[in-house]
Amino acid sequence: MIRIEDVGKRFGEGENLFEALKSITLEVEEGECVILSGISGSGKSTLLSLIAALDRPSSGKIVVEGELVSKLPDLHASAYRAKTIGVIFQHFNLIESLSVEENVIVPLINSGLDMPAIRKMAEQSMQRASILHKASQDVASLSGGEKQRCAIARALVNDPKVILCDEPTANLDRENSLRFIDTIQKLNQAGKTIVIATHDPLFEALPFESRVIHMADGMIGKHGE
Amino acid sequence: MLSRSPFLHFLTLLLFKQKSKHLGIMSISVVMIALVSAVLFISSSLQQTLQDTLDEQADFTVTRIEAGRPVSTPLAWADRIIEIEGVSQVAPRIHGRYFYAPREESFLVVGIDFFDEQGSKALESLVKGIDLKQFFAEESMIVGEGVKAFLQKHYYKDTFSFKTPRGQFKKVKIYEVLPGSLNLLANDMIIMPIGLAREIFGLKEDEVTDITFNVPNDAEWDNVIGKLHLVDYEIRVVEKREVEKAYENLYNYKGGIFLILYIIALLTLMLILYQRYAMVYSHERKEIGILRAVGWSIRDILKLKFYETMILVMSSFVIGTVAAYGYVFVLGAPILIEIFLGGANLENQVQMIPEVSFGTLGSLFLLYAVPFFAAVLIPSWRVAVIPPKEAMR
Amino acid sequence: MNEILLSSEVIVYLLSEALLYLLLFIAAIATLGILKGWNFDRFTKRQFDLENRSYLVMSIIFFVLGLKMLLLPYFAYTIDALSLLVPGAMCAAGVIDANDYGSPLLLLKIIILFLSGLWLGINRLDLEEKHYPYMKLKSWFYLLLFILLSAEIVLDILYFTHIETTNPVSCCSVIFGEIGGNSLPLGLDIPKLLILFYLLYALLVLIVFTGHYLVRIAASLFFAMIAYYSVVYFFGTYIYELPTHRCPFCMMQAEYRYIGYLLWGLLFTGTFLAIESAVMEGIFGRDALKLKKISIGFLTLFVLLCSSYVGLYYLKNGVLL
Repeated sequence: MIRIEDVGKRFGEGENLFEALKSITLEVEEGECVILSGISGSGKSTLLSLIAALDRPSSGKIVVEGELVSKLPDLHASAYRAKTIGVIFQHFNLIESLSVEENVIVPLINSGLDMPAIRKMAEQSMQRASILHKASQDVASLSGGEKQRCAIARALVNDPKVILCDEPTANLDRENSLRFIDTIQKLNQAGKTIVIATHDPLFEALPFESRVIHMADGMIGKHGE
Repeated sequence: MLSRSPFLHFLTLLLFKQKSKHLGIMSISVVMIALVSAVLFISSSLQQTLQDTLDEQADFTVTRIEAGRPVSTPLAWADRIIEIEGVSQVAPRIHGRYFYAPREESFLVVGIDFFDEQGSKALESLVKGIDLKQFFAEESMIVGEGVKAFLQKHYYKDTFSFKTPRGQFKKVKIYEVLPGSLNLLANDMIIMPIGLAREIFGLKEDEVTDITFNVPNDAEWDNVIGKLHLVDYEIRVVEKREVEKAYENLYNYKGGIFLILYIIALLTLMLILYQRYAMVYSHERKEIGILRAVGWSIRDILKLKFYETMILVMSSFVIGTVAAYGYVFVLGAPILIEIFLGGANLENQVQMIPEVSFGTLGSLFLLYAVPFFAAVLIPSWRVAVIPPKEAMR
Repeated sequence: MNEILLSSEVIVYLLSEALLYLLLFIAAIATLGILKGWNFDRFTKRQFDLENRSYLVMSIIFFVLGLKMLLLPYFAYTIDALSLLVPGAMCAAGVIDANDYGSPLLLLKIIILFLSGLWLGINRLDLEEKHYPYMKLKSWFYLLLFILLSAEIVLDILYFTHIETTNPVSCCSVIFGEIGGNSLPLGLDIPKLLILFYLLYALLVLIVFTGHYLVRIAASLFFAMIAYYSVVYFFGTYIYELPTHRCPFCMMQAEYRYIGYLLWGLLFTGTFLAIESAVMEGIFGRDALKLKKISIGFLTLFVLLCSSYVGLYYLKNGVLL
């Protein structure tokens, strides 16, 4: 499903050179839930953005669903994001001036579908993320947990195979965090491949099968545990 | 329609929800568009009016000159001009500026001949609908609106006393006032019987100011000019096409000067636009980062920006031109009209004849849209290619 | 000279061209950078920047092409408007002939539109692929285009600064008339010209779906040329309803309901799409069925529109000119 081969990522040059990732090799099976844990700056977030083709590695290869995504021109990288990937960000990254529904339809605008079809998919997705009741409310007026659910609805709207979460619970209280884990479990049961980058200890012992990978200094530590 | 295309749906969504962002640019643009449209509308309307009037003018005018100085023309020339092949509608005219010394103003006095009224095409349209028979029966005059207003102001109610070169006063009654639609040409005009005009200018019985005539066949024009010079060596010939070009140039010139000023203003607008779009607010940057992160390509973002600009340009263009249309053709272009009529005698109230061509609108659109897009293009690209991770930070 | 440069159309036109040229110049510099540093196999930030920069180049070319498509008819309109200032000129034909720069300029404009349309076609192919296979090709192509565009702006300026308002020029009836003007090419006369016109059209329709691409390009170009002469020397006279009035420009005036813009627009786009579809299939091995259909549609409309003027005239008057 996701194959990461000898991937390195360097920022800057000369004295400012910073190696965020050092020769990472990792494989994630279809339907698997992988937790990348580690303190901030350990490189887990960088690795996520490489998988999402939001950035390119400095060396190595990343193959997702048979497609080499580490070296895609923008047009194809964005098509890949729109089709295969759903991302949930730490800061939710919603467009504040738009309503929940309007935020959720964003990934589908350029999909070639017509508006009624898009609306229908958005509705299903909001239903899954239990935010449908707030569909027409402006995002700016939502609580942290509701924003999170709106972000989930947006990540699910294109029915992606892979869901990437970057510090999803960092801005949530315990109750909402547990609720999020519940949602993730459902998605995992539905067959989605999930990769979560987090340093939240809640994810160390999930109530469902998952693989925890420790990262430190841009390298992968011991597997499993 | 809007609900069918998701892209347009989303575009209008963004525009409406963030309209305050565009309001400033929008209003500056509307004012600029309105201003330049007004100038072009005025100049093309005036040109059209002039063209209409000139169309009715005679093809040629001849006068006598002595050592380069125009003097009165002998009436006898008219008979000799009639004899030239291809010439028609020969009409001797008496006209000239009558200076009203106390106020340093002048009127254009035109004498018309009741029996030769056929010959003078131009005047025919002026005195249309006026009972000439009665007009010629007494010593009276037909005046333009400007003259009428001027006389009223100086307590000449129904009559005006001309001072002839012989030092006598000649009291003439106002018979009619010319309609305002003729103001561009007839504002300061006084029309009176030819005999009366001759008396006021102190001309002899066998003298006129000039002689006009037509030559229907264009190809004969150069030929006729040659023959005219055989009539008398003191003859001076003015062709209608020269006058036409002089006017055309005058309005082009005034419009052109203004246009150049406008271009300077336009460059300022470009700078403002460039600044505005280059200095991307963090939330705007973030927005584009989000769009790209969830699957929009650089091309999609550029498309979004392009359409956004297009809508701004189009709507401000439409609002601006409509406003200018109202200002010029409904309100009569107060203030601005002075630039075009400045230097004219007497206060003039010209009525604008609505005249807007596709060409004028096309010029306006290009003049405005090209710089607008050009200024926005590079900043838009710069935002569009910021790596999404960086933009969302 | 001053009178010409102060007319508002000329100011607007030259200002637009100058601004566009500024953008094109920026695009040319960006293209040079791309040619120098491009290596898609590399993982550097520089390569990433160059890819982004290629988006600037294509945005500029897209925008400029769109505007040049508006500016070409506007150019025709401008010189038509100038015919009032230039003695002897009754329409744009006289003004374009007012100096030696006019006709090459007009031809160059058409060639540039053709080539930039082609460039956008190649660009689209390039973006569809996953490793920018045509990046070098389209960059060199753009630099060539840029040389032509530079020539265009130079000619623009030379042309408008060298129109004399004192020297009379010929009007269209002289330029295209029988006396002393250039007559039909290849020793054709009107009946042969018309036979060729309809035959070439039929040929185009036949081969567009089957023929070899080089043959199609040649046939399209030849058709465009013959169509031009047919309109000027035959169909035009029916638009003007005057057997001696031969002019490609007068039909753009309001008197003839601006039909010239539509007529030349159809011919131009139809020919362009026919050539583009041939290039896409022949050189890049792409399917261009849609392009072919649109191109034939446009050319058919063009032929019908031309013929309808003759037909309507015959119906109205019972005779031909």
